[in-house]
Amino acid sequence: MSSSLFGVFSVSSSGMEAQRIRTQLLAENIANAETTRTPEGGPYRRKDAVFTTINPEQPFSSVLDAQMDAMSGVAVREVVVDQSAPQRRYLPGHPDADKDGYVSFPQLNPAQEMVDLMGASSSYQANVAAVSTAKDMIQRSLDLFR
Amino acid sequence: MSARYVQVTCSMVERVAADTERYMSLLSVRQKLVASNIANADTPGYHTKDINFQEEFQNAISGTNPTVVETQGLYMKNDGNNVNMDREMRLLSENDMRFSLASNLVRSELKSVRLALDGGGSQS
Repeated sequence: MSSSLFGVFSVSSSGMEAQRIRTQLLAENIANAETTRTPEGGPYRRKDAVFTTINPEQPFSSVLDAQMDAMSGVAVREVVVDQSAPQRRYLPGHPDADKDGYVSFPQLNPAQEMVDLMGASSSYQANVAAVSTAKDMIQRSLDLFR
Repeated sequence: MSARYVQVTCSMVERVAADTERYMSLLSVRQKLVASNIANADTPGYHTKDINFQEEFQNAISGTNPTVVETQGLYMKNDGNNVNMDREMRLLSENDMRFSLASNLVRSELKSVRLALDGGGSQS
């Protein structure tokens, strides 16, 4: 019977990695909330990570474990770019204004990004808690030898 | 002589230790599932996984791998994900405490065997 607690580390670290990528994208969104010019042309577009389940990398021989299927890590499957129409603001003096005097701004709400950021942060913490608990359990098993 | 001692010791420890080992193994499996659930708390379409702990512990002798089931009756979010973070965090600490209890049990069992081998500590 497979009972290696070490598998928890790969699962939780995949969770931490995914949440970290999400946090990076959210930070990028917040930083570019007012960006009107990008290399692709037009205003900045909001990015979001889409998560998917994966089989985590297994340490050592447990690759053969039947239990492996039950465990699932997480990974960022793709980064979706928001395709909604940009927000138009009337700023005739702006260098990026069109002929009618409107400037295209990114269609994103910083408050929403902040809420998502809090979610990502607490999910990251939950993964850290799972690692720490598994670590304690392994440590207590090892303590039986003493 | 010493081989006989070892054999006696093993059979003494084994009775309690075998059950406790099974218990700890099940806790480890559950811990992995809880970690999976937490990692996938934001994955669309992911369903909470768990084992039926009582039932699996009853199957102690068979030694088969525990069956993983999807937990029913949890609130499903719009993205088809039903991971309840409060439930997972509760299970996380509950598993930890149960594991702690079991390992302390094994430890005290080993301690009493050691005490018996030492002749109640009178010689040391």
